[in-house]
Amino acid sequence: MNPQVLIFTMVFAAIAGLLLKRWHAAARAVAVGTSGFTAIAAADAMARATDQQTLGWLVPGLDLGPVSLPLDLGTSRATAAVAFAVALVAAAVQVYSTWYLRDDDRYPTFAATVSLFTAAMLLLVHSHDLVLTLIGWEVMGWCSYLLIGHWSRKPSARRAAYKAFLVTRVADIGFVLGTVGLIAGAGTSSLEGVIAAWGGAPTCDPLGQCTGPDSVLRAILLTLLVVGVLGKSAQVPFQDWLPDAMEGPTPASALIHAATMVAAGTVVLAALFPVFAQAESARWVLGVSTAITMLLAALLALGQSDLKRLLAWSTVSQVAIMLSALASAPAADGPDAGLFHLWSHALFKSLLFLSLGLLGVVAGGTAASLLRGVGTRSRLGRWTFLIGLLSLAGVPFLVGGLSKEHVLAEVYAGAMNRGPGLFVLCSLLATVVVTAAYSTRAFLVIAQTANDEEPAADAASTDAQPNRTDAVRRQGRGPASAVLVTLALLTLIGGLVLVLDLFTLHEASWIWLAVTVVLISVGCGLAFALGRSGDPGVRCAGRHGHRFDTGFGADTAYRALARAVVALARGVAFLDTEVIDGFVRGSAVAARVSGGRLDRAHRAERPRNGAWLVVAGLLALLALGVFAWR
Amino acid sequence: MITLNWWALAPALIPAAGLILVLVLDALLPGRRRLPLAVGVLALLGAAASAVPGAIGSADTPARTLCLPASSGTGATGGECFWQAGPLSSTLQLSLLLATLAALLMMRDTRGPAAPEATSRGSETAIDVTLLLGSAAGGVAVAAAHDLGTWLVALELATLPVIALVARRGTRRAGHGSLSLLVTSLLSFALLVVGVALWLVATGDPTWSGAAVATAWADPARRAVLLVAVLALLAGIGFKLSAVPFHAWTPPAFAGAPLPVTALLAAASKIAAVAALVAMLTPFVGLAASGTHPHVLAFALGTLAVASMLVGTVVALRAGDIVRLLAWSTIAQGGWVLLPLIGLSTAGLRACAGYVMTYAAASLLAFAALSAVRRTASGEPGAVRELAAYRGLARSDPHVGGPLLLAMVTFAGLPPGILGLATKVVALASVIGAGLWPLAVVAVIAVVLGIAAYLRVVAVLLADPEPARAGRVVLAGGGTLWVLAAGTALLVVAGFVPQVLYGLT
Repeated sequence: MNPQVLIFTMVFAAIAGLLLKRWHAAARAVAVGTSGFTAIAAADAMARATDQQTLGWLVPGLDLGPVSLPLDLGTSRATAAVAFAVALVAAAVQVYSTWYLRDDDRYPTFAATVSLFTAAMLLLVHSHDLVLTLIGWEVMGWCSYLLIGHWSRKPSARRAAYKAFLVTRVADIGFVLGTVGLIAGAGTSSLEGVIAAWGGAPTCDPLGQCTGPDSVLRAILLTLLVVGVLGKSAQVPFQDWLPDAMEGPTPASALIHAATMVAAGTVVLAALFPVFAQAESARWVLGVSTAITMLLAALLALGQSDLKRLLAWSTVSQVAIMLSALASAPAADGPDAGLFHLWSHALFKSLLFLSLGLLGVVAGGTAASLLRGVGTRSRLGRWTFLIGLLSLAGVPFLVGGLSKEHVLAEVYAGAMNRGPGLFVLCSLLATVVVTAAYSTRAFLVIAQTANDEEPAADAASTDAQPNRTDAVRRQGRGPASAVLVTLALLTLIGGLVLVLDLFTLHEASWIWLAVTVVLISVGCGLAFALGRSGDPGVRCAGRHGHRFDTGFGADTAYRALARAVVALARGVAFLDTEVIDGFVRGSAVAARVSGGRLDRAHRAERPRNGAWLVVAGLLALLALGVFAWR
Repeated sequence: MITLNWWALAPALIPAAGLILVLVLDALLPGRRRLPLAVGVLALLGAAASAVPGAIGSADTPARTLCLPASSGTGATGGECFWQAGPLSSTLQLSLLLATLAALLMMRDTRGPAAPEATSRGSETAIDVTLLLGSAAGGVAVAAAHDLGTWLVALELATLPVIALVARRGTRRAGHGSLSLLVTSLLSFALLVVGVALWLVATGDPTWSGAAVATAWADPARRAVLLVAVLALLAGIGFKLSAVPFHAWTPPAFAGAPLPVTALLAAASKIAAVAALVAMLTPFVGLAASGTHPHVLAFALGTLAVASMLVGTVVALRAGDIVRLLAWSTIAQGGWVLLPLIGLSTAGLRACAGYVMTYAAASLLAFAALSAVRRTASGEPGAVRELAAYRGLARSDPHVGGPLLLAMVTFAGLPPGILGLATKVVALASVIGAGLWPLAVVAVIAVVLGIAAYLRVVAVLLADPEPARAGRVVLAGGGTLWVLAAGTALLVVAGFVPQVLYGLT
């Protein structure tokens, strides 16, 4: 199936959904039908994926003189797999939303936005042109703003949407500059052209005349690009918008976290990997940021008082793992370890969010204190959540475990080379332990029966859906349950995708498998030890719980930065209005005053004066003639 | 024996013949009002039609007549023609005739009750038409005159009837304005005569001959005389262009004259002045092209241009009377007309002609719009002078206010007055082409000031019309409506294809 069909089906779904805003049933049918079709088509495309990168035309290309924009699309094995994951998660989210947002008066808008979001991500995945990549990137930024702020009546949702938008926009400055620089240097926006122009090392002849890409400029441009990726993927220092984005509806979170927005950076860097692998300093920036992020986010996840925010931090940590594979993989190995982790993360993270959504509805919120023991009330939720958590923890042979093994192997290979590999490896090993610990904690929270250790009153839930009776909840839950079961099955057996040979991966080594099993056991054991009597997260965080919930004060730091920028802007505005405008106003005053003077001088209008003026003018001209004589 | 080509002379002869016909008809059939008007309109239309072939002809073969036989001359002047009308001259003639026609059409509508009751109104009209036709014939002749004598007489023929037209209303203000005009005009006539005489002394040639100028310029002693001659001539023509400091007559004359005559002063007289200037500067263009640039002349032109642009715009910024505002704007635009000449190139001459024609069309439009506004239904046309009374005119009466608005944005050089913008750009291009950056900078300052001055009027025209509605009645006669429609169409159409203007010239 052509990638155009996938993209335009979702665009059509978005437009149709907006047109059908008044008729919820029709909007539901369109959303589910189109996303289901896209998922099946993507599965078909994945099954028949060829190694060869076929180039399709999206629209006729543009030739703008010094720069040509071919606007091509293309596919490869890995992109077909990622596209399938995107389409599958989108379909799951659409089906699930028909139940979850059944009572929502703005459901059609939500479904249309999800469709547009999916279209943008599919465009990004299939793009073989940096301009199309940029379009997909920007549309996703906009859609994420709409989805996070979906419940715009809540002030906290509005703030979270603004925050996500502003933080990612700031980082996008780097992305746009980097993209434009790469295009300008290559003279074309096609991916092949850019890779051909910027990949490879400069070759110098004995006289010192070098041809080939300017490596300093390449490092700068790719570092700028990496800054944009860090923003979109919520990596340090842009990490704090993602947990706040939990203010959006749970299906939207599943979509943003599992397969689209935060994973977009991985897709872009993977596409540009031949160039990226050459830019050592950009790799260092990415490696250091992801190494810090993965451990920090995992620690924060451990101490969250709200399980939805726990999942958000786990996303930040897992995306850091994906990106770290790109940062440290040897140039010869390619980016597929990161892409495979993206694929498996899409499955288990959507499963986790959607099953947490179910548990949240049953419990009336997602705060850990509310969810305590909810697993006994919803067996489906309990089991699907458990499967997701096992995969998240990286238990061998589940899909998450397999991909994590490969990332580990790739990072180890990178650590043996130059680059940030060794640093990343240490952080990654520590993260495996903490990930196992917070996964265990999340399960313990829902599985342990409630005791009166903590009062439920101080629980601040981010995803409260008030006034829902059990009857309403159960109504139409069948499709949502089916979605959960499907995703759980895929999480269990998704590793079989390796049979299709879609990703170019190395053999995972048994030694690393053994090491991870040990590390995971340590993490689980720690969590059990702490959680013998109550929530291990609370025990761990102690009285610093609120510090964990505020991400160690990142929001305060952001606000301080914003205040500094605003103060600077005020200073510039003052300079502009008071100093520079002073000259402008002064010239206006001068013109008015001189106009008034001259007007007064002419007021008499005596013919005699006119005659004198003529004589004076003649004399002046003659004098000019004399003085300017040459 | 001199050759004579009647067709080449037709643009000047037809108005002259019409003039005589009007006088004869008025003597035979006194008191008819429509007859002289009809004769005048037909004469101007006929003359304009006869100028068209020359305007679209080739620059290499100008229409020549009144030529001396090649053998009878004294070498240098042998085969010299006293009447030469190339495309540039013919286009100027055409636009001058059309501008005069527009003034005549406005005059038809606005003969108000203020005319003296002593004589019959028919004869009044006959006299007006006679004077108009005389001025048109003079202006046309200036554009084609190649010898100093014809040039001088024709220039005065173009000027003196207008002074009479200003004075004829007989009011105190009209007398005041015409006196200013007369005094300045006499002085500048004196300067022109002196200039012509010195020119003759310096070059020894009674024509605007490029060869004679080149010879005279090469000889230092004669160059000094020639330079004084040119500066005196420039001062004389500067009066007609109302360039600062020869501008003092402009505000009282504009304010004192009836609006059709003001329109004539602003449009047709300006075109005649440019025609005279082009004739005088053409020999110097050849001189500049041959490598000896007459810097002093360029310097003098630049001084006049800068002074006019700045003084005119700055005072227009403060004017409260809309006719005076337009008078000061005329002074400023006179500077703009001089500006492209500084490069002393053929392109500069064209830019100057294109600018003056655009300016003439826009000012005709403005004065036609003003003459449609009265205090009361039976009041004198064009008597409403204070700017505040025009509040909201473009909204309450778009058929009158719209053209006025278009004229203002054309003066300012802002879209939708694209033609004004294009002519300003072309004028600046020839200055920059000559490498005179300081002048270009001053011109840009003048543009900025001008935008402020004209947008003042635009803002008034677009304001809420209610407060000012009681103080005015808008009554446009048929002739005025014709002028408004044709002028708007011309500016809009030529705005989309400004190259037509420069293709014609």
